[in-house]
Amino acid sequence: MTAVDVPAHEATPDDWAAPSLSDSEYRWRARRYRFRTVRRAAGFLSPYLIVWGVFLAIPAVWGIFLSFNQGGLIRGDPRVFVGFDNWTRTVSDSELRTAVKNTSIYVLIAIAVVFTLAIFLASLLNHYKKGSNFYKVALYFPLLAPPILGAIMWFFMVNFDFGILNLLKRSVIGGDGIRFLGDNPHALLTIVAVEVWRGLGFWVLFYLAGLQSVPEELQAAAKIDGAGKWRRFRRITVPTLRPLLLFALVIAVIFNFQLFDSVQVLTDGGPRLGTATVVWFIHKRLFKFQDTGLAYASSIGLLVVVLILTALSFWLLGKRRQREA
Amino acid sequence: MAGDVTTDPVTLEEAPPPEETSEAAAMAARLAEAGRVKRLNDRTRMIIAYVVLTLFVVIAIGPAFYLISPAFRDSVSLFTYPPEWIPSEPTLENYRFLFSSTSYVRWAINTLVFAGATTLLTLVTNTMAGYAFARLRFPGRNLLFFVILATLMVPVAAVLAPTYLTVTTIGDWPIIGNWIDTDTYLGLILPSAVSPLGVFMMRQFIQTLPDGLYEAARLDGAGEWRIFTKIVLPLIKPALVVLGIFVFMLTWASYLWPLVAATDNEFRVLTVGIASLKGQFVTDWGILAAASLLTIVPVTIVFLFFQKWFVQASMAGALKQ
Repeated sequence: MTAVDVPAHEATPDDWAAPSLSDSEYRWRARRYRFRTVRRAAGFLSPYLIVWGVFLAIPAVWGIFLSFNQGGLIRGDPRVFVGFDNWTRTVSDSELRTAVKNTSIYVLIAIAVVFTLAIFLASLLNHYKKGSNFYKVALYFPLLAPPILGAIMWFFMVNFDFGILNLLKRSVIGGDGIRFLGDNPHALLTIVAVEVWRGLGFWVLFYLAGLQSVPEELQAAAKIDGAGKWRRFRRITVPTLRPLLLFALVIAVIFNFQLFDSVQVLTDGGPRLGTATVVWFIHKRLFKFQDTGLAYASSIGLLVVVLILTALSFWLLGKRRQREA
Repeated sequence: MAGDVTTDPVTLEEAPPPEETSEAAAMAARLAEAGRVKRLNDRTRMIIAYVVLTLFVVIAIGPAFYLISPAFRDSVSLFTYPPEWIPSEPTLENYRFLFSSTSYVRWAINTLVFAGATTLLTLVTNTMAGYAFARLRFPGRNLLFFVILATLMVPVAAVLAPTYLTVTTIGDWPIIGNWIDTDTYLGLILPSAVSPLGVFMMRQFIQTLPDGLYEAARLDGAGEWRIFTKIVLPLIKPALVVLGIFVFMLTWASYLWPLVAATDNEFRVLTVGIASLKGQFVTDWGILAAASLLTIVPVTIVFLFFQKWFVQASMAGALKQ
């Protein structure tokens, strides 16, 4: 474009003159404009908002109301308002307490094990790149099967009579087999193993993506300065990954706290409630139609915990963004 | 010719420098020794690393292979000791039973309908909503987005009872109750299509498209709907594929909602159906193995063809937030 010499425009009183609209006309137009924007947005939003509202938002609010009630889940069973009764009982109920305890133990062990293994394997894959694609795909494999099928595969692996783990134990160490699902605390530990097996591939890929974001120059500079491997890991890799680690920790807690599928199919909470988890407890109480009130209240407890953790994860993510910026 | 060039430096190196002293020779020998040790060390390390990786790969895929033998034999023969790994009389009896005496086919069809429809519904609603949040201005936009986002990780279990009550309540209404109820497809699908993850993903993705595109289209007189279908949709195809795979994988694997929403065998999905094959007290191992194997094999084949997309999709859930 050719440059045309345009004289600088000086503001004249005319520029600021009132629009040639009357007050009421102006307000009317503004309202019509706002109505149009809302209508346009509503057209795009309503399909999702209807599904979300009817099947998630309204139930979530309804759930708070339900937590002060007992029964009413099936036709013919009247709902009774019981006030804070459910809530006071959540504190004292021994089965729920066992479920919370089991779930917490499970979450702690599972996350500690899976994160350690994942970071270790991711570092290996990050270092030894040859054939890493094959390893990544193979490690990812357990995620393909639904949790139920993964649990069933392990149901065969840990069988007392023909499970490979017991066959190995008998032939290598000797003695009788181990009742992986029939004894405590074996059962909960077996569930931990199954879930670690399933989640490992995901976390390896997750940390691999993270490791690849650690600046190469930083590592090289530290190497020149004579920093050893472990020291570089402690001083460069860990600090760079820390925000990612914290975020991963929070979402891992959220996901793992909902442990249900493998428990339901492998042990159904047994033996003697040794693998009873919070979600298992909720499902059991609700659909055996006994003491549903306690299940209503504990669902809301679960909801509140997850909402708080979600907020925490967003906060962590926001902090990470800030640091990157 | 090329050979000459490469051998040249070697011969130069090998020619002993005239001013070489015995001390320098010892030094050079030590350095060479250290280099060899280090290289050896590196090699052992590498071998150990690959052995460890391979071990984990065996653990990862081994359990699936452990299903093969039981799937093709009589359950009773599983209990012989020492174990016979390769069945002496392989049989397809388990599969015959699976197809004739259980509703496996019905479950498989239900799963496809359930996961397919949920994916489709999610893609349509989430893309439209994502577009609105990314491109349109309207009062209360940020607040609404925040409220929706807050429900991102709400567990199925936490809203299980009220969702169940919502579905049964709608089921009691005239006309619409014939379509949405427990033991209906829509009763399974609609509560499974609520997650806002896709809305969020699509909003992020659409925001990255250059503004100029919209302005040009608007100047040409295109309305929002036209811009959405003709310009935005073709550009976000990769995101649609990733979201689609993610939602499909999540939905067909889901268990808790189908377990409570479909008690009638006619509406059971594979996860619930296969779990029901594992009896409470007695299990027919052969049939359980056959059903599990039959379910995993097609998914694995599809996965091997589209693995790149799969991996991206699974990361989308965690990283793209």
